Amino acid sequence: MSQSIIDARNLIAAYGPMQALKGVSLTVEKGEIFGLLGPNGAGKTTLLACVEGLHKPMQGSVHVGGINVQTDTTATKRQMGIQLQRTALMDDLTVAELVEVYAALYEVYLTSNQINDLLTRFDLIEKRNTLARRLSGGQQQRLALAVAIANDPQIVLLDEPTSALDPHARRAVWDIVRQLHDEGRTIVLTTHAMEEAEALCGRIAIIDRGQIVACDTPAALIANLQLNSMLKATVELPLDQVRALPNVSNARYTGQHLEVETARPEVTLTALHELAARSGRSIRDVMLRQPNLEDVFLKLTGRALAESN
Amino acid sequence: MKRFLILTKAMTLMHLRNGYVLFWNFAFPVLLMFIYGAIMSQYMDYMTPGVIVLNALSFGLVSSSTMMLEMREKSVLRRLQATPLPAGQLIGSYLLVNVIIGVLQSTLIILAGVVLYDVPVTATSLLLSYPMILAGLLAFMALGGIISGMAAKAGTATAVGMTIYFLLMFISDMVFPLDMLPEWLRNVVPYLPAYPVVQLVRSAMLEATLDPKWLTHLFLLAAYGIGATFIAARLFRWEPKA
Repeated sequence: MSQSIIDARNLIAAYGPMQALKGVSLTVEKGEIFGLLGPNGAGKTTLLACVEGLHKPMQGSVHVGGINVQTDTTATKRQMGIQLQRTALMDDLTVAELVEVYAALYEVYLTSNQINDLLTRFDLIEKRNTLARRLSGGQQQRLALAVAIANDPQIVLLDEPTSALDPHARRAVWDIVRQLHDEGRTIVLTTHAMEEAEALCGRIAIIDRGQIVACDTPAALIANLQLNSMLKATVELPLDQVRALPNVSNARYTGQHLEVETARPEVTLTALHELAARSGRSIRDVMLRQPNLEDVFLKLTGRALAESN
Repeated sequence: MKRFLILTKAMTLMHLRNGYVLFWNFAFPVLLMFIYGAIMSQYMDYMTPGVIVLNALSFGLVSSSTMMLEMREKSVLRRLQATPLPAGQLIGSYLLVNVIIGVLQSTLIILAGVVLYDVPVTATSLLLSYPMILAGLLAFMALGGIISGMAAKAGTATAVGMTIYFLLMFISDMVFPLDMLPEWLRNVVPYLPAYPVVQLVRSAMLEATLDPKWLTHLFLLAAYGIGATFIAARLFRWEPKA
């Protein structure tokens, strides 16, 4: 038996005729922040639902903390804290009541002080006696997170925790996720925003059309594909001479801007400066864009992540 | 047990804070008494048990499922399903709150009858009436559970429930006496779920006795109640139909 805290093997799942997972295997190690990155409809939520015990896969198995989810669902549910994609709490209850009830559903009974501590952490203490329906979007999302850890779980599963949030609220959620990680909890989150995956996750599985196309640390994902950096500059130079510079794989003009693809931008930039000096030209507006997960997704699936959403 | 109590407290608060639930469950039954009283104030002794049963019928078939359907549609149930809470405890807690609401409604109607129309009740008549009302409520709620299990949406469930309610209301000896019905229908009605409740509650309240056929009536209600509970449990869904 593997020591991974989550161990999913060969999952095949379908909703009616639509195959949502086409043989997905995945392991999550204790204490990591693991990201499932992919466009909407890729199968991220279905994969989580199989782990949560909310969806029965047609084939394959999931173990959480060494326990089989299909055969001992209640025991695996106890180990996890969950936030579902659409926030769906009983919105006629107050913030404090909701935290109390959801903890109790796990047979964890919080004292008033414990509830206050939890709400203070999530910046909701002033909303303690406010009905959930009266909260703003960001507050509701923080409440969903507070409810998710009300039972003090070792594993926290967050489905699109920041979708539909403004940048400020998004940062607040990121901070919370990092705190939960610092406390030693294992976190699995789904996102279709590559900057979120890059900012938070130690490891990422890129999932597309029901399959995992790559799984590694963000840096390794980028490095393994040997993607080039993009150097942009405003300068007039013959393209054939630019292409002949060291490490340059391609070069083109878009308008007045020279775009150079290079494996080693610092070497190429120096060479470009020398070439410009020899030609009596000056270089202006230099910009360097390093390859990111967006490029990884494009390379692996042939489609841009943003377009797929 | 502690989990069940905290959950039940939450269920109670949800119902009490919902304006729709409050109006239809508590204001409407009293309003019904005013309406019937305005039309036929001299028959209110006879009418009050009928109003109790027709209210229990609409509550059981429609109102008692409203909150559950709303929770299903808003994915609240889905969220609850992700916790280790057994489905039986959720449903048990929900039913408990709703049975209490149903009994409170009947109490309000009796109070309105006594205060507004001098409907005579005694300790014995009340003691006999409540178990009969409860038996009716349970059977009606189980039947309502089938409707909400089958309907894809809350709106559909309400429409189906109200249709059955109106049909039963007119033919089950609540408002119109059975003699007014054609003969073939008169032979069918005693086997439908509302008629036995009317007979049981009426003789209990008005005469402080058991209806001569009380055992048959209760047996029929138990059959409806148990059968419907079994079907409703099989139809229970955590999620709306896709």
